[in-house]
Amino acid sequence: MTTRTALVACTILLASVSTMLAQSAVPDFSGVYRPVNAFGAPPPGARAGGPPPPAPGQPLPPPARTAPLSDGSRGRAPNAPKLTPEYMAKWQAISKARVAGSSDSDNTLKCLPPGMPAMMNMAYGMEVMQTRDKITFFSELNDALRRVYLDGRTPSQVVLDDPTYAGYSTGHWEGDTLVVETVALNDKSYIEGFTPHSGQMTVKERIRFLPNGLLEDRITVTDPAALTEPWETVKAYRKAEKGDDQLREFACAEGMDHAK
Amino acid sequence: MRARVIGLLAVLAALPLGNTPAFSHHSNVAFAVETVLLAKGVVKEFRWSNPHTWLYITVDDGKGNKVDWAMEGRAPGVLLRAGWTPKVVKPGDEVQVYYSPSKDGSKVGMIARVTLPDGRVLPNAPPND
Repeated sequence: MTTRTALVACTILLASVSTMLAQSAVPDFSGVYRPVNAFGAPPPGARAGGPPPPAPGQPLPPPARTAPLSDGSRGRAPNAPKLTPEYMAKWQAISKARVAGSSDSDNTLKCLPPGMPAMMNMAYGMEVMQTRDKITFFSELNDALRRVYLDGRTPSQVVLDDPTYAGYSTGHWEGDTLVVETVALNDKSYIEGFTPHSGQMTVKERIRFLPNGLLEDRITVTDPAALTEPWETVKAYRKAEKGDDQLREFACAEGMDHAK
Repeated sequence: MRARVIGLLAVLAALPLGNTPAFSHHSNVAFAVETVLLAKGVVKEFRWSNPHTWLYITVDDGKGNKVDWAMEGRAPGVLLRAGWTPKVVKPGDEVQVYYSPSKDGSKVGMIARVTLPDGRVLPNAPPND
């Protein structure tokens, strides 16, 4: 083989390898994200028709609220999970306590993990750490963490018999979409805030970058005991901007000495 | 607004005097989140801790009484992004606090916004969040 022939062969080989790599490349979700509309701010344009902004030098008008109403006193939202009679009764009891001011149904207040899928609200920010075999989602709120295994493992019987707040997640890539299934969830968390669920709940997700750069998580929740039909919701997160791209330690227990 | 302030003063006048209260943490449901009142007071202590921050203020009820209030704020991580720091308010600062009152009538509020002595306004969430 001449030197020239060898060079051509090498070039063809390199081109083939890089094509193969490109075909097998998956998106890199690593980074810090902020959820879209974390604290219930009105969407852009929603202020039209509302009170005009104050003139320069004029005081700001008083805030209309400190947080979105979340005690269920206006009933269940049209897009809330559809509950079986047994779980509707549970929800009504929880709502009644919340309307009366009880914080008992707030896991995060007790420094417990929010659990799946509520964890994916990520109100205080999210950090994603991705390797070939595993993606880790970290929530600043309550320093909560979940791992999605991508190496083909499946949950053992020991795992299935030991349900947790985050559950056990396995995933695979379908093109540019990460498909995740979560099982082994305990019944101590709330689906999206304060809707109760059973230990039979499973969560499916399809996570991908949208053309506009947002990271989207399409979540489907199934629970034969609590839900009359699967519940679907969509979360969106934007990559944190430079200067806003680090999470702070939460250290929830630090304030507990203050609780009397 | 004026009626709300007068209403608050009436509530304050009805409350007994006390030392800095110690309270457990609350979720949003402990407060009437869609009612926002204004309290003007002097900072006693600012506690920069998770899961919630606490701003203790002493409010003059207009009848010669000094009333201690505990104002619960969001977590340090969120407030940092909204322009707060651990040292942004200091004991002795005169502040204005917009807050939602506790549903149980105790002297606890949930912070919507704080105005500092120099006029700076600190919201309870980062802009656009």
